[in-house]
Amino acid sequence: MSYRYGRPALKSSVDVQLQTAFSDGNWSTVIRLAAKRAATLKDPYYEAIRMCAESQLDGTAEKCAVLAAVDDLVKTKKTADIDTVELYEWACRDFFAFDVEYADTLGPLRARWAKANPGSPLALQCLQACLDKWDLVSAQQIATSLDKAYANTADRRYMFWNITLTFLLSISPQCTDASRKVYSLLAIRQLERAADLTENSAKLEPTDRGLLTEEEVCLYYRVLHSHGTKEEFVSRLKSPKLGAISQLKEGRKLLFCEGLDALETWGEWELIYNLCREALTLGLEGGTSPFFVCDLQIWRKLASAASKVPDSDSSLGEVQAVLKRYIEMKDTASAMYKKNLSLALLETTFRLPATALNPNHDSTGLSPRVVQIGLFLDQYFERLSAFDDVKGYVAELGFDEVKRLMEDVLPKMLDEDADTARKTVLNALECRLRYLLTTCPQTLSPQPSVVDGPTQDKPFQCRLCTNPASLPCESCLRKLIVDASNAYKQISGDKALLDAIPRLDKDPRLDLALVLGTSLLKLSGLRPRTTDVGHSLWQAVEPGLFLQAVLLLDAQLKETPGDTELRLLLVQLYLLLGCASYAHQLWTPLDVKRTIQDALSPLFFDRISTLSPGLFHGSRPLMEPLRSFYNHNLGDKSPVRIWDAFLAGSYTSILDMTKHDGNLRRSCTLMMALVEDRRAIRCYGGKVDCEIEEHPLTENIDDDTTMVNKTDYGPFPNLESFHGPPIHEYLRLGPGLSNERSHLAFLSEQYLDLLLYKPPKDYKPSKQTEVALRDREYTLETLSRLSSSLTDFLHQPATPSRLTASETTYYTVLSLLSATLLIALSTPRSDAVPKTLSLLTGSIKSAFASLRTDFFSLSTSSTSATKNKSLPGACATFTEMPTLSAIRDTALAIKHSAAFVLACHDKELARDRSGRSGVHRDVLAEMRVLDLTAGKALAEVKGHVLRLKEALGEGGWLDRVLDLVFGGEEEEGDDEVTRAVEEVVGGRGAAEEWAGRVVESWREGVKGWGMVRME
Amino acid sequence: MANFRRFRPDDLNKLSKCNLDPFTETYELGFYLQYYAKWPALFQVAEDQHGNIIGYIMGKLESSPDVYRFSEHYLPWHAHITAVTVAPEARRLGIGKLLTEQLEVAADANDAWFVDLFVRVTNHKAITFYKNMGYSVFRVVKDYYGEHSTDPSLSSEDAYDMRKPMKRDVKREHVRDDGEKHEVDPSDVW
Ligand SMILES: CC(C)(COP(=O)(O)OP(=O)(O)OC[C@H]1O[C@@H](n2cnc3c(N)ncnc32)[C@H](O)[C@@H]1OP(=O)(O)O)[C@@H](O)C(=O)NCCC(=O)NCCS
Repeated sequence: MSYRYGRPALKSSVDVQLQTAFSDGNWSTVIRLAAKRAATLKDPYYEAIRMCAESQLDGTAEKCAVLAAVDDLVKTKKTADIDTVELYEWACRDFFAFDVEYADTLGPLRARWAKANPGSPLALQCLQACLDKWDLVSAQQIATSLDKAYANTADRRYMFWNITLTFLLSISPQCTDASRKVYSLLAIRQLERAADLTENSAKLEPTDRGLLTEEEVCLYYRVLHSHGTKEEFVSRLKSPKLGAISQLKEGRKLLFCEGLDALETWGEWELIYNLCREALTLGLEGGTSPFFVCDLQIWRKLASAASKVPDSDSSLGEVQAVLKRYIEMKDTASAMYKKNLSLALLETTFRLPATALNPNHDSTGLSPRVVQIGLFLDQYFERLSAFDDVKGYVAELGFDEVKRLMEDVLPKMLDEDADTARKTVLNALECRLRYLLTTCPQTLSPQPSVVDGPTQDKPFQCRLCTNPASLPCESCLRKLIVDASNAYKQISGDKALLDAIPRLDKDPRLDLALVLGTSLLKLSGLRPRTTDVGHSLWQAVEPGLFLQAVLLLDAQLKETPGDTELRLLLVQLYLLLGCASYAHQLWTPLDVKRTIQDALSPLFFDRISTLSPGLFHGSRPLMEPLRSFYNHNLGDKSPVRIWDAFLAGSYTSILDMTKHDGNLRRSCTLMMALVEDRRAIRCYGGKVDCEIEEHPLTENIDDDTTMVNKTDYGPFPNLESFHGPPIHEYLRLGPGLSNERSHLAFLSEQYLDLLLYKPPKDYKPSKQTEVALRDREYTLETLSRLSSSLTDFLHQPATPSRLTASETTYYTVLSLLSATLLIALSTPRSDAVPKTLSLLTGSIKSAFASLRTDFFSLSTSSTSATKNKSLPGACATFTEMPTLSAIRDTALAIKHSAAFVLACHDKELARDRSGRSGVHRDVLAEMRVLDLTAGKALAEVKGHVLRLKEALGEGGWLDRVLDLVFGGEEEEGDDEVTRAVEEVVGGRGAAEEWAGRVVESWREGVKGWGMVRME
Repeated sequence: MANFRRFRPDDLNKLSKCNLDPFTETYELGFYLQYYAKWPALFQVAEDQHGNIIGYIMGKLESSPDVYRFSEHYLPWHAHITAVTVAPEARRLGIGKLLTEQLEVAADANDAWFVDLFVRVTNHKAITFYKNMGYSVFRVVKDYYGEHSTDPSLSSEDAYDMRKPMKRDVKREHVRDDGEKHEVDPSDVW
């Protein structure tokens, strides 16, 4: 039963007349009757009924009377009867959404009652009620009472509820620092006692206060890990009954896994080694089911621990011996474990020191490592996951080994007369590995050449193709593109092969297309977008090659529309390209909904309002599903479904659900959703529904909160090696979500809330001067808080790498503005204006000016493409709309700030005619200058949007885009890469429809921008 | 490539490899957490070397609510597979089977009569998968699913209620050979 607020039933002793009036909600009758009964029966319960009925009336005094009554009860330490408590709780229900704390009001009343009546079933309801409101203090007290009342009964939950809640309280902000230690000790002592009892008894009965279930044992270790010492943890993990191995023998794996994780953080390699070896041996000897712990991570931990213990040579030998025994019984294993064992073999081979592997190591490259990769691929190259399985190992190989693998081992893997489909799959894998190698530094000569001159951007020599190179080697990429394209064509042209595709694990054309696409992107010069100022995408990349990549991948999506990796990749590319509406069309079928939104929404929605505000104009509010996800799951203070876990005795679930809930409340995605929505609303002159700080979802977020980023990049294709950044970093509009950016966005929105606040129309305070003083004080306090917080976050060491250049400017200007306003409004008219003010405004102007210059010069400078290929000037900014948006946002923030100061001044003048309390003349003048600057910038933005619109209105766009992709007429077909792409996508003619979609999406984006308000 | 372990809530941020596949339903948070709260040992995952979840099974142990005790459709103590899914890249490696077997071990340990599940009658792949593991159709639930998975012109789809008897059912009282012929309404299952 979840504790929801239906109207409570009155005691059965209450007369029918009053019962009826109460259940009908006939409050005035209830009040009258209850008052009468209270007078005649002298029963305070009727007083309570009366008060509750009054609380349903409209008057503030009546509403609050019940709160005062509760307060009184709490203070006088009286124990109210449970029916009264129920009534009061119901009457107070709306207050809990505001500043009334359950822990200060109803919680203590419930705890008191439960303590007095622990044997009553209603005591359990009291516990549930407190947990529902996440009042851990009261809940812990109730649990303690229940534990005492039910000690040594067969229902063990009371004891463990008590311990779990004591522990939760000890790590919760609800606990005072003074009592934290006490609760910590209390939790751990009780569990230690239980653990000792368990170890020392021959057999435990359910009525004993020991540790019986897996959940109880794991709870103990969790608490021990948190509040105990490493030594205690380690020694218990080795103990005969509660140790990891003996728990494994009982079929319990959780402790083993969690124990290993803890040991790894402490670097306890010897114990890790012993536990893993023992556990695996147990499987061999029938102590557990054979493959119970035969997970890849156990093998990895074993191998890595073996290489770190003092006697590592013999330990590694031992690992190989255990592995060998497993391999001997491989035939009985499922495919999954067979593969795990093959991977374990690879893993151990790679962890062995080179000397142990091959004492007379020669330079032929056919090392045991290469042999093992070869053996693995021999078995698994046809599997979808083969590349991912070996890629880390291949990237670790030395150059000679790489050469041997690619030139010898792979080509010999299939006989001449092998099945063509299999050959094709192998070929696709080879292309992927070749791509991988372009991201590995060992393919370059170790020494950079030191010759001055134009070769400097390629200071190395590629050891694969001998050309001058940097990473990635361009000529290797070019050759790869040509080869992959040939392989692709071969498949497309072979009917028998095409027919074979559905029987394969994966369409090999998809792999080839991904290789082609990413190679083209790399060749185009695409690099992760960091904070370097003023580089538009078109300046950073060769547009032709970039568009070729998009076109080719888009064409592939038509062949394999169900492929998630490819679809996601394209979503990112179209966002980069400024085609948000088209990206949205591709995004929608992924059906990112409900629970997975927190992790996946940022892949589309981050920065979306700055890229294409028009998207928010659709029929369905863009952010609605995300908003409703958070409202639905964070609406209550308690973690979703937590009571279920209590009832079921799932103690580790309770701890993990609590942690998960805490993380979700601090989610960067949540902040992103709120902020994107507000920005879009402001774009179109709408009204945000409440100040961001007052928003129920930001209730527990302040400067000290570490915001959590859980964006899931798992579904991206990733051909990159660990030597460089993963592919999603190349594709994002800027750095991913972060604690720093979330806070800066949150604070900026608060600043705008302050500036844009309008009192309700009918608000006419009677004590004007007093109110004005209070307002002023509040404003100055808020400004001072925001200014210092913004500065703090901007100055954190990681911040520069978490923002795009234009974001840095926007947040910097906001922090400067808040400081400016603080001075502007606190400097008396009679004093001299502090110099700081002009320093601040000077910085604002220059930061803003350089942002504008950087952006608007883009539209005049030519792109990196040759002249006849380039787009009309303004169009270089299609891809830079977030910067345009930052200019607009910054301008508006400046404008609103100036207006705010001027309005304060006017208000003061109206109130105090003497003029003495107004804003300083010089400040006013400075504000007008800022306002003017902002106004000019907004006009520029407007003009720019107009120019984009005009440019897109011209004819000839399809040709323009296609010329960019394939080169103009005179160039067409003279470049091998372009030819390779053409052949895969079916030439210029086949690309027309695609070009149309790109241009249409640009038009739609600009149309949305055309409607954005510039004031 | 894979590790088997108990689900933990953080895994919900790593479901994309499974849940972006159109055959896998994404549920509300409370639905996952309810299972994790009540039957944590029956919620198992397989993860790859990067921590992505590449398969999971979500199950429960229960009997029909007591009020139905005398109904012909009453289900005695049994385990139920609510969801089992494996990411496309990790299929046909036995992961689905291993996950299901783990649940069966738990069912036996808890003295369940049988394990059961619902599957769309058009999900041939999954039906073969279950049949190969010893499950058989016990009954057909008419119009169990609100929409049809492959034919948009149809507004509903039938489900097979499939079962496998556990050790306790020595006499195989809870399975039947002609389950395809037994049709029931969605209101008869709970
Ligand atoms: C059904 C599903 C869970 C199977 O997972 P899996 O890990 O690929 O299955 P396994 O490798 O364990 O297969 C075990 C056996 O089932 C049978 N099987 C599995 N997939 C099959 C398929 N596509 N076709 C035919 N038989 C199949 C085989 O007999 C297989 O043994 P084998 O590989 O030795 O021949 C997976 O395909 C899936 O996630 N599908 C989408 C979600 C879904 O439909 N879930 C079921 C809803 S009730």
